[in-house]
Amino acid sequence: MIQKTKKLLLNPWFQLVLSVLFVTTSEVFLKRGAVEAPRLPDEVNWTGVSGLALPDVWYGILFVIASFISWLYVLRFIPLTIAYPLSNVVHVLVPLASWFFLNEHISVQRWSGIALVLLGVLIVAKPVARMEENL
Amino acid sequence: MTPVSALLIFVALILYILGQLFLKHAMEDDLGSARFKKNFAVGLSTMTVSFFITLGLLQHFELSYLYPFQGLSVVIISLLAAAILREKLTPRLFIGAALISAGVVLVSLS
Repeated sequence: MIQKTKKLLLNPWFQLVLSVLFVTTSEVFLKRGAVEAPRLPDEVNWTGVSGLALPDVWYGILFVIASFISWLYVLRFIPLTIAYPLSNVVHVLVPLASWFFLNEHISVQRWSGIALVLLGVLIVAKPVARMEENL
Repeated sequence: MTPVSALLIFVALILYILGQLFLKHAMEDDLGSARFKKNFAVGLSTMTVSFFITLGLLQHFELSYLYPFQGLSVVIISLLAAAILREKLTPRLFIGAALISAGVVLVSLS
């Protein structure tokens, strides 16, 4: 069991999945925090620094750091021409998460853009999946 | 858009792309080596500077206006990874990257 978990954690493709899930989670937390953040006087408000008073913002920051660490591990093993396009699946996951968790509205045109991103990600991922099967 | 903001958008994009390339280059190295430390430091700094320029730009422009430039990074990073880091860029990978860039631009236009 421990061996299996360790093997999974050391798998760069699993870390890529973790990295995009962490980014998506962080965005939801940061958005929730930003909405609740107290409004400071305009001179200092633009920095978003008032958000630091909220737990949600700190959860968001922790997930950003976690995603960066996973991403660095990914970079060690997967070519950028594959890993970077695949990481753009966040442009699909973040709108879905905002729709599901934050009740945000998504227009038809935006859904089309999301579908296009997903298509591109699948095109990049398919030969990779075949490559992995042969390992 | 003034010439200064156009320049800032361009600089932020270039620094972000350079950051990814330097971090990739660093992570392939021996993690104890001096070369790793140098490349990692450069990658982290360029990304940090890009982050703060973007934060500043967000004060003056809508996110949806700045987002398409971010979308372009997919195609540019794929091309530069092939040219500079000698990675294999198949037509299939390039088409995938181009569709993702197009999708991100479409999302931000709506």
